[in-house]
Amino acid sequence: MSKSNRRRRELRTAALLTAPFLILFSVFFLYPTYKVIALSFTDSPLIGEGNWVGLANYVELFNDRLFYTSLWNNFYFVLLTVIPTTVIALLIALAVSRLKGRTQALVLTMFFLPYVLPVSVVTMIWSWMLDFQFGILQPLIEAVTGKPVPVFKNPYWVMPMIAVVTIWWTNGFNVLLLIAGLRNIPADLYEAAALDGATPWQRFWRVTWPLLWPVTALVLTLQLILQLKIFDQVYLLSGGGPFNQSYVVLMQMYREAFQLNNGGYASAVAMVLFVLIVVVSILQYQLLRIGGRK
Amino acid sequence: MQDTGVHLREVRKSFGAAEVIRGVDMDVRRGEFAVFVGPSGCGKSTLLRMIAGLEETTDGKIVIGDRDVTDEDPVDRGVAMVFQSYALYPHLSVYENMAFSLRLAKRPRAEIDEKVREAAGILQLIEHLDKKPGQLSGGQRQRVAIGRAIVRAPDVFLFDEPLSNLDAELRVQMRLELARLHQKLGATMIYVTHDQVEAMTLADRIFVLQGGHVQQSGAPLDLYDDPSNRFVAGFIGSPSMNFFDAVVEAQTGQGVTVRLTGQPDLPLDIVLADPPAPGTEIVLGIRPEHLAVTDGEGLRVTVDVAEELGGVSYQHGTLEGGDAVIFQQIGARHEMHGTVQTVVPEPGRAFAFDRSGTRIR
Repeated sequence: MSKSNRRRRELRTAALLTAPFLILFSVFFLYPTYKVIALSFTDSPLIGEGNWVGLANYVELFNDRLFYTSLWNNFYFVLLTVIPTTVIALLIALAVSRLKGRTQALVLTMFFLPYVLPVSVVTMIWSWMLDFQFGILQPLIEAVTGKPVPVFKNPYWVMPMIAVVTIWWTNGFNVLLLIAGLRNIPADLYEAAALDGATPWQRFWRVTWPLLWPVTALVLTLQLILQLKIFDQVYLLSGGGPFNQSYVVLMQMYREAFQLNNGGYASAVAMVLFVLIVVVSILQYQLLRIGGRK
Repeated sequence: MQDTGVHLREVRKSFGAAEVIRGVDMDVRRGEFAVFVGPSGCGKSTLLRMIAGLEETTDGKIVIGDRDVTDEDPVDRGVAMVFQSYALYPHLSVYENMAFSLRLAKRPRAEIDEKVREAAGILQLIEHLDKKPGQLSGGQRQRVAIGRAIVRAPDVFLFDEPLSNLDAELRVQMRLELARLHQKLGATMIYVTHDQVEAMTLADRIFVLQGGHVQQSGAPLDLYDDPSNRFVAGFIGSPSMNFFDAVVEAQTGQGVTVRLTGQPDLPLDIVLADPPAPGTEIVLGIRPEHLAVTDGEGLRVTVDVAEELGGVSYQHGTLEGGDAVIFQQIGARHEMHGTVQTVVPEPGRAFAFDRSGTRIR
């Protein structure tokens, strides 16, 4: 068999093997992405053609006060979730990794359980628990503040409480990642450190923390991306209110597209968020990697 | 100089219901190079980790120098350990790995630098100080692990199979370096290995462990020349000793005459102070180098594998009864493979054991 013949056969196999992914990727990701970019330069409604308007949507967006409110709310939410959830997950992972065998598996399952719930169930559970009149958590709130609080209707409480719900919901996954990271640290390093005279505190800061850093950086980055995309919990718990205090970028995109029928404008919102997430997450990951190498 | 020997009294260790160390007494004297040797699962590593303080001692007493350290933390015992896996901190440079314990102890910067550089000098690591462990070869990593121990200037060095991850050539080289290091530092060292060649070459005193007991302890050649039971006789020496079932035929003035089971033609005289009665079944142990090829009467061995190493050769074969035999040849290079050879034990070189494995003297 000739060389070119063999090469052609190899190419055919390669094409055959990559085709399923390429087709799915093109149909469900590449084409929609192209469509969003194209839409964001038009004044089209959600369905149907529109006219080319150039950068008009973006100009309007950057003069839209509500957009800045939602952008700020997004960052506020990131602040409330990303580092707290990582710290909590790390503490839980450290505690769980001290357990042995079945107890460990059981406890880990319990921490992971909320993660398998659909968001609608999670928000239902929490809106009941925090119900102004009947919620079982209201006595706790009353004990601290002196009176019951309708948390999802209170401008100061709404974002922190959505953050609490989100952390409760997604923390199990981070715990799992960090446990895997902890298991990768050889036990004899801790024994060597004990012989070298390290206290438990020093063992954590000088052995565990630096060796776990790649996983911690990964968790932080995944969380950042995830929490910038906050939508479901806000939509289900507060609807963006009160007084737009929980109005986030994707909420705005949703309303423009599906309620106000402004497909072009909504696409511009989506594009800005997309670019923002890419830039911020790349920036963060690079910063974290440099921090880890030091 | 104060006593820095290690003394164990009736030391026991159980994991749940399983007792792995069953009452060990031992004395390692100051400056001695002691080797724990035994097959896997004999408890030698556990015993070392108990001395280090990494495993709790269930019962008994561990004394280092004149201090009872049984319930002390590892760091307070004055020991340093070199792990089989080296256990180097992968995120720290060679320098920081060696300086780790001094940094934790908050020693002055100048002192840390001096000690690290001194250890690095001894171990030829000066040009590698800025590298990370991942950039080093196995032998260099091993040296860093030793350096980390040296820097702490411990009373006792503990080595847990430190050479087993190295290739054969490096192992021999590091073995020599360890012997030199011991001469240079003069510190007490305890070394765990399953390799009896390492034990023989390094040790001032070997402790042979099996089943959670010390089977025998002593200088390497004492164990070789005078094993106190069949296990030690079989474990020390390479290739290992041949064992043959035998029956006491008669008592002589200095001992007994025995015949090997299945070899009725060859009576052997064994010198024994306390000879067993005629008819007693015993086990005879003869080292490969004490079986000499002869033209006369002897044990007929069918050689099936010949290991020719140049200077010596080991002939593996079977007796007519089917027992496996190894005998050694020095210098001679005849093709013995596939032939039948007749060998006789050198007089006075056979050891007698009773059926339970205890030496009959």
